[in-house]
Amino acid sequence: MNPILARKGETVLLMGNEAIARGALESGICMAAAYPGTPSTEIVETLSEVAKDLKIWVEWSVNEKVAFETAYAAAISGVKSLTAMKHVGLNVAADILMSSAYAGVKAGFVVVSADDPGHYSSQNEQDNRWYGFISHIPVVEPSSPREAYHYTKEAFKLSEKYGHPVILRTTTRISHTRQPVTLDEDLPESPVCKGVFEKAIDRWVLVPGHARKLKMKLLEVWRKIQYDTGEPFAKIINPGMKDVIIASGIAYSHVEEALRILGLESKITVLKLNMPVPVPRKPVEEVLRNAERVLVVEELDPVVEKQVKSISSELGLGCKVYGKEYVPENDELSLQVVYNGLCRFLDKCEPRIWESVGDLKIEPAIPPRPPVLCPGCPHRSSYYIVKTALNKAGIRNVIFTGDIGCYTLGFQKPFETQMTSFEMGGAIGVAHGLSKVVDEAIVAVVGDSTFYHAGIPGVINLVFNKGRAVSLILDNSITAMTGHQPHPGTGVTAVGEPTVRIMPEDILKAVGFETYVINPLKVKESINTLGKALEEFKSGKKIAIISRARCALEVLRDARKTKTVLPVYKVDPEKCTGCMACVNLSACPALVVDPDSRKPVIIEDLCAGCGLCASICPFKAISTANTPSQDWEKLW
Amino acid sequence: MSKRFNLVLTGVGGQGLITLGRLIGEACIRAGLNVTVAEVHGMSQRGGSVIVHVRIGEGDSPVIPVGGAHHIIAMEVLEAGRSVRYANKDTVMVVNDLILPPPLAKYPGKKDVIEALKSKLGRVYLYDAEGVSKRVMGTPISSNIALLGFSLGVNPALEDLIGKTDVEEAIEAIFKGKALELNMKVFEEAFKEGKASIGG
Repeated sequence: MNPILARKGETVLLMGNEAIARGALESGICMAAAYPGTPSTEIVETLSEVAKDLKIWVEWSVNEKVAFETAYAAAISGVKSLTAMKHVGLNVAADILMSSAYAGVKAGFVVVSADDPGHYSSQNEQDNRWYGFISHIPVVEPSSPREAYHYTKEAFKLSEKYGHPVILRTTTRISHTRQPVTLDEDLPESPVCKGVFEKAIDRWVLVPGHARKLKMKLLEVWRKIQYDTGEPFAKIINPGMKDVIIASGIAYSHVEEALRILGLESKITVLKLNMPVPVPRKPVEEVLRNAERVLVVEELDPVVEKQVKSISSELGLGCKVYGKEYVPENDELSLQVVYNGLCRFLDKCEPRIWESVGDLKIEPAIPPRPPVLCPGCPHRSSYYIVKTALNKAGIRNVIFTGDIGCYTLGFQKPFETQMTSFEMGGAIGVAHGLSKVVDEAIVAVVGDSTFYHAGIPGVINLVFNKGRAVSLILDNSITAMTGHQPHPGTGVTAVGEPTVRIMPEDILKAVGFETYVINPLKVKESINTLGKALEEFKSGKKIAIISRARCALEVLRDARKTKTVLPVYKVDPEKCTGCMACVNLSACPALVVDPDSRKPVIIEDLCAGCGLCASICPFKAISTANTPSQDWEKLW
Repeated sequence: MSKRFNLVLTGVGGQGLITLGRLIGEACIRAGLNVTVAEVHGMSQRGGSVIVHVRIGEGDSPVIPVGGAHHIIAMEVLEAGRSVRYANKDTVMVVNDLILPPPLAKYPGKKDVIEALKSKLGRVYLYDAEGVSKRVMGTPISSNIALLGFSLGVNPALEDLIGKTDVEEAIEAIFKGKALELNMKVFEEAFKEGKASIGG
């Protein structure tokens, strides 16, 4: 059974994201909509797994803006709902976020923003607590995965109390850490799933006349939240001390353990904050009044620090408030970083308690192991095919604009087919703009899911405004990087129901492109097809290429399920001259060169049988080592 | 100094580290212990370095300080070399007898890495977990379970926290059918081999 369906009183091991899903279900949601994005994905993925049984609506929307609108619509009709996204996803949904604060909700509505301090899987580490200020929406921040469960429920209660959206902000270390969680309620028997749309024109239609009035109400709610909030969003531990630490979110967990190691729990007052925006006014005032020195410990920006300093100065208090002098403003915090910061702040302890033996000194050094395209990944073949075809067509010095997905890894050698990557859907707009100011040929590379998400306005603009770039859609028919969530080109919904399959080539044709669909597994055939396409491009036509093959991880999984034998390749050492073309042009992790030998070998356990290396080998030294099932190609 | 037991799990994405972390987490629940199991990995599905930080005992801060590991399980030799910064001189390290070089990279040989590890740590065990898994399962898929079994066998401090039966119950909770039966066998064998290698 799915652990998030466990009964009251049971203790289950939940990832922070699963804990949020459980908390939302206990709160009675009947709608969840999201676009996948690390580290937020597992929230709605978990809900999608139980949606049919619980008879609630869960969907992967085409992007965060649409997801937000979908969930918000439920909440303004009296149905509790949740939307979840990674931090940068909230930028995509920011327009409606602002409006939602003006119009409010009629049932609990929680927006999860999963931030990524440390840039583990993101282009930036923006601190989305600021969104609370811009939108006047309170931000709730748990300190652990277990608290993610409790504070999801508290966030829903808060949203219901004020008829206002609430942002639940997590960070990667909360989202992706598992912890035992003891469940304190069963799931509601029958959550409200039927809504009523009330035609409150002056509330839902934000024309200036209505918005001006709603803003007054909004500010009133905002002030109430500031002044009326106490426990459980702010908790004073060991009150009355001169030294005070204010810690928000996961920073509190680091502080708690660091003080325990230092044996100073009883010497310092700690204000644990689970609402960093706006900081609950009364508890902050209370700790400041007794304090001489205050240290604010928080991850990323000085969001709480600035508020605390402002309150202290407003009240004319003499205490000195510190923050980013002791705790870095970039990267994620950890016990170690916070411990070192506290040591300096308290000037009391030995900062080196963990004596590392240090890094290994060895020649050659341990090589870095950045993420790479998987063995069999069709993106590898697509990149090889496109570069070879461009070369054959005499098109040199090509600029490849890039986007967000597994294929971003093409920035690495030997591909170098991603020369920009800024945000979702950016490849096409950037290619268009470049085409107006540079002479080189431009290829815009975008994945299928990203194409639906934000690429479509880009291609329309490129045609409308006479841009000059090849659009290359790498189509594996799934949102692969975040763990294989379906999208409009997959043919199934989030809960596995069949639905219409919207093909990128149909959209591109309708917009005015000549489209060429290739199968990257058929290397030579595809290079020939692209040869023709590139001639058309040179003559000034609008060309779009769709390179379609499923994600190799899905193929491997299905092969295991259906007991299909995929080809496995081997290198014939007799024929191999050691030219290394296969290794150097494919960079496939299954191809390794033993330091003692000068010829590559294929690790059979890793080979997915795509055959790219065999296509590359100029000496026909690579061939299948087994007899694959007759219909193995169907799996791709 | 820290009151929590810190266990580093490391290897290459796709080797089963996340499942191993979950298994230990489930075992901790059965042992009545608090635990945090934090997965640290990059952007892609497979192929990059992965570290899972398991911290057992009271507290919620998930990431292990450099030098703070009590035990390290490395599913791959180069990743063992990379993770040694988490070790102090008392750390016990169990390394899978497997090297997976990253594409297009120069890398040190297996023996050299193991020797370098032994020069820093008193207790380094090179264990053929793939061998056990292949023998029982026919594939290397249960190397993770084998490394946990072996670790429990060689490190009494770990076994004191999560006993053999806690792990067995966790395996029962996660696997079913044939996979359950075979994983249990892999675990048993590896545990015995661990005990044997410390003369226990």
